[in-house]
Amino acid sequence: MSAISKQFDGNQVLQDVQLEVHEGHVHILAGENGAGKSTLIKILAGIYSDYEGRIEISGKEVRPQSPLEASALGIAVIHQELSLVGPMSVADNMFLGHPLARGGFVQKTKQEAGAAKSLGLLGLDLDVRQPIEQFPIGVRQMIEIAKALHQNARIIVMDEPTSALNAPEAEKLFALIQSLKQRGCGIIYISHKMEEIERLADRITVLRDGQWIGTAPAAELPPPKLIQWMIGREISEQFPRHSQHPGSERLRLENFSVFPEGISRRPVVRDISLSVHAGEIVGIGGLQGSGASELFLGLFGGYGASVRGNLHLDGNEVHLNSPKQAITNGVALLTNDRKATGLVLSQSITANATLADLFRLSPWGWRRPVREQAAAQTTTGLLHLRAASLGMEVGALSGGNQQKVALAKWLQTRPKLLLLDEPTRGIDIGAKREIYQQMNEWIAQGIAILLITSEMPELLMLSDRIIVLHRGVVSAEFSREQATPEVVLAAAMGNKPSLADGNHKVYE
Amino acid sequence: MSDKSKNPLLRAFASPAGRAFLALLLVLLLGVIFNGDSAFFKIGTHRDALRQASVYGILACGMTLVIISGGIDLAVGSLLALTAVCCAKMAIHWNWSGWLTVPACLLVGALCGSVSGFITARLRIQPFIATLSMMVLARGLAKYVSGGMKVSTAIMNPDGTYRYVDVPHFFRLVDSRILGGNLSVVTLIFAACVALAWLLMAKHRWGSYLYAIGGNEEASRLSGVPVVAAKMMAYVFSGIFAAVAGICQAAQEQQGDPEAGAGYELMAIAMVVIGGTSLMGGRGGIGLTLLGVLTIGYLDKILSINAVPEAGRLMLTGIIIVVAVLTQRRKRT
Amino acid sequence: MIPKISRVLTLILIATAAIILTGCNKSNEAAPASAPQQKQFVIGMSQCNLGEPWRVHMNADIAAAAAKHPELNVIFKDAQNDTLQQRAQVEEFVSSKVDLIIISPKEAQPLTEPVADAVQAGIPVIVLDRRLLGTNYTCFIGADNKKIGYAAGKWIVNALGGHGNVVELMGLQTSTPGQDRHSGFMAAIAGTDIKVIFSADMQWLEPNARQEMESALSRFDSIDLVYAHNDDGAHGAYLAAKAAGRDKQMKFVGIDALPQEGVAYVQQGILDATFQYPTGGAQAIDTALKILHGEAVPQEITLNTRLFTKDTVTQGGQELP
Repeated sequence: MSAISKQFDGNQVLQDVQLEVHEGHVHILAGENGAGKSTLIKILAGIYSDYEGRIEISGKEVRPQSPLEASALGIAVIHQELSLVGPMSVADNMFLGHPLARGGFVQKTKQEAGAAKSLGLLGLDLDVRQPIEQFPIGVRQMIEIAKALHQNARIIVMDEPTSALNAPEAEKLFALIQSLKQRGCGIIYISHKMEEIERLADRITVLRDGQWIGTAPAAELPPPKLIQWMIGREISEQFPRHSQHPGSERLRLENFSVFPEGISRRPVVRDISLSVHAGEIVGIGGLQGSGASELFLGLFGGYGASVRGNLHLDGNEVHLNSPKQAITNGVALLTNDRKATGLVLSQSITANATLADLFRLSPWGWRRPVREQAAAQTTTGLLHLRAASLGMEVGALSGGNQQKVALAKWLQTRPKLLLLDEPTRGIDIGAKREIYQQMNEWIAQGIAILLITSEMPELLMLSDRIIVLHRGVVSAEFSREQATPEVVLAAAMGNKPSLADGNHKVYE
Repeated sequence: MSDKSKNPLLRAFASPAGRAFLALLLVLLLGVIFNGDSAFFKIGTHRDALRQASVYGILACGMTLVIISGGIDLAVGSLLALTAVCCAKMAIHWNWSGWLTVPACLLVGALCGSVSGFITARLRIQPFIATLSMMVLARGLAKYVSGGMKVSTAIMNPDGTYRYVDVPHFFRLVDSRILGGNLSVVTLIFAACVALAWLLMAKHRWGSYLYAIGGNEEASRLSGVPVVAAKMMAYVFSGIFAAVAGICQAAQEQQGDPEAGAGYELMAIAMVVIGGTSLMGGRGGIGLTLLGVLTIGYLDKILSINAVPEAGRLMLTGIIIVVAVLTQRRKRT
Repeated sequence: MIPKISRVLTLILIATAAIILTGCNKSNEAAPASAPQQKQFVIGMSQCNLGEPWRVHMNADIAAAAAKHPELNVIFKDAQNDTLQQRAQVEEFVSSKVDLIIISPKEAQPLTEPVADAVQAGIPVIVLDRRLLGTNYTCFIGADNKKIGYAAGKWIVNALGGHGNVVELMGLQTSTPGQDRHSGFMAAIAGTDIKVIFSADMQWLEPNARQEMESALSRFDSIDLVYAHNDDGAHGAYLAAKAAGRDKQMKFVGIDALPQEGVAYVQQGILDATFQYPTGGAQAIDTALKILHGEAVPQEITLNTRLFTKDTVTQGGQELP
């Protein structure tokens, strides 16, 4: 792929990117969140056909207009969200899109035999008539790969394939990749995990902010240099840092684990212990799959009682088994997807701003519109919300203003602990600054803040301390002085920082 | 475009209430034109149009609550029959007074509603399926309690002959007229139901919860809204309103018919939808439903006084519903 | 592993079902053997649905008539308005070799052949109320809705002295009874000064009849009589008129005359006249006995209707030819 550029509504997402994959090689595509990796892959997969640049396969130029064309060209993509149809059988899934048919009738037995054969090549022996959803996710991923192979793919793209796998399943995958290499397939592998990159890479390409930074053989790109390429050098000081006056301990977690799919399934977050003080901002660093958002949700009671471990608020042990309980205890959660889980877009600003506190605002259940208006006025005023009227539908507001409404809702509940998950995602620079300002005010008032952000500059600038998560456990903890982009990213990728840099904690 | 927004009249008609009102006005205009030998101008016709729309309208009140919360209640027609049968049995056969019968019937409605609500909200089964099951169950119960026959003032003696009892006093009360014979008591009951539903939706915290849940259930849950409890309440109230409708039905027929109410739930849904409440949930209101009830109620009456044959009625009603819903469409921003 | 278990379970289910079914058949045939004094007869009765009170009444009539003859054992089956189920029931009766079948069919076409097969297998079949195609059955017993409509019309002509304004509230006009009760009535009033000033299809339902009656009341100041195709409709019309204070100005005529509905209404003074739509249950048993004892029976037995008015209601109505 050469000189690939792509725009989305005037936003340049990729600029002049190049990627060269050789037969029998694993080529790692690395970069922070939002660097453009997914977009590049989607172009290759035929999902986006509107781009500039050139794609050549074995020297011939191609321009896949659809996923079906791409797979006909020998490109197979295993997305993070697997493209398998749950209730259909394994065999039917393998032949999805190109069934073996004669005169319109699908030849079931032939399909089953074909599927079994492809699976056999990967050392998998299962009943191909079973519906896919019966199998655990690790096996499903294998099936997805077999499907790719089956369609005679020469280029296989894997997007964060181990995000849903446990260690033994990941091992199987790596073994599979070896056999794929032997068969001459070229593999593009996207990953955040240092240990995987070190293990699998033949060559590495790094993207940053849509730009191609460089490509090198793995041997020439040890982890520190790789991280440097991913981060870049300039971190603009956007905002004056606040002074630190941490107060008493507000939140303490001991051996906290979160089980989003129920206690009997795997925890996404395991044995987290941390503490946050009043007037302190603790940043949670971590890349996709680290479990940070799930930690917040579990803390907040969003998973009900599917959590284990101890939670102390202001010294008292509490069990937050529902969002309502959390709110009553002074905890607030700003979710990372305001449209899906943060706001009711069809309702007015006032309605949204008062939603979490309606119980208090309506004595005996009867609403007091005057009170509600006043409350919404106050909270949105503090956040400098600009809107024609408070009766406007929230769905009509800009992203920045929508986020302010969500924040106003939580302000209304007089929280003692604020969990902010990507508070400035999708917001323009002006609104961002206003939110940073607000956060300073909050900690001045003694509120404790836990912050998740995937923007490194923001994380470094706002946090008094940074706790980095990697695959559901705490990987490292840094004080403000120790935190640099390199060490944070390294910890986020699971790379153990050398013990020579003293004064920080390392978690095995 | 900008000219339209400057004109206040057009802006008024652009709101959901305005559009619903417009639909009603159009139907009334139809009535003025096709007035069935001036029958449309008699006050009796309007009294009757309101009377016959009232039972559907009472069901529509409960249906509005449920639809706004993002669900649907297909069981209300069967609940109407069940409570009508119970009401007739209690009041006619067992000679209970109105003070005892009415609360008992409301309790039956509330209980059935709570079962629907439990299955939907707690067991998280799709409202369509959950209330469809209740619809069938309640119909079966109605037939069981009534023995498959209408529960009427003709009571069978052990030897096979019949004795006749009086129609209960409160039945006559419900089926009577006031204001010099110009307003049916049933219409009054409907008005009371509208008022109660409006209070709940517009003035009570629960109403706000229902709107929020219908608009975005997950965001509401994560904002501390008691989603399960609120949804259950919606179904309980739907059951209570269905019971009120059943009592009115029994009183007006002077009997409890286990086959009553068949298809009434669809009529109630149509009235809610024509009023402008969205089937997706989160938008709408009782006022809109009231307009929808009147629109369909008057349409029915106009077709009736003009003795339009059955086939024509069905087609016309279908066409008008589609047209009304099309004019409701919000512009996609 | 899993497929094997489900296979075993399916086998067990089939075996259990087979045992139950054969057991059922055995118990049916066991009954006649237990009373050796008189020859026992087993009659299979298939009713198209028991949702309509009139059909519940039909079954009750049959049961009551059969109770008087202890040598008869009637097995009732309800097809729940499902034609295929009714077919299956006829076939079940044939395979269990009942002595006679009584059937009130849902539809003519799909049931004509199964009934013919039964007759072929040597089992006599009595058809009630709704006709089958052709003549391949032993006996049809039913009332004639046209005749009833005609009788009603004649009574109305008499009661009104040959002239007057009549509101006709019709049953489902896509059903034969509705059409027949209308055409019979129209034939009877032809040539008189009776005018049908308002007619509407109320689909046999009382609330609908009431609404239509209200419309008629608001349009017309002078109504002399309301003719409704069933008693429910007449009742609804009566209530509408009563609410308008005009019930004394007109007469009300209905059809069906179920004891707790139409007859009760006449007794209470709500209806002026109702015409019985006989179920034929009692006649079915009488005819069955004749057949079982080897007597010849006509292929068509048309039941007569009975007129119930204030004067005749205590005597069980007046039979009309």
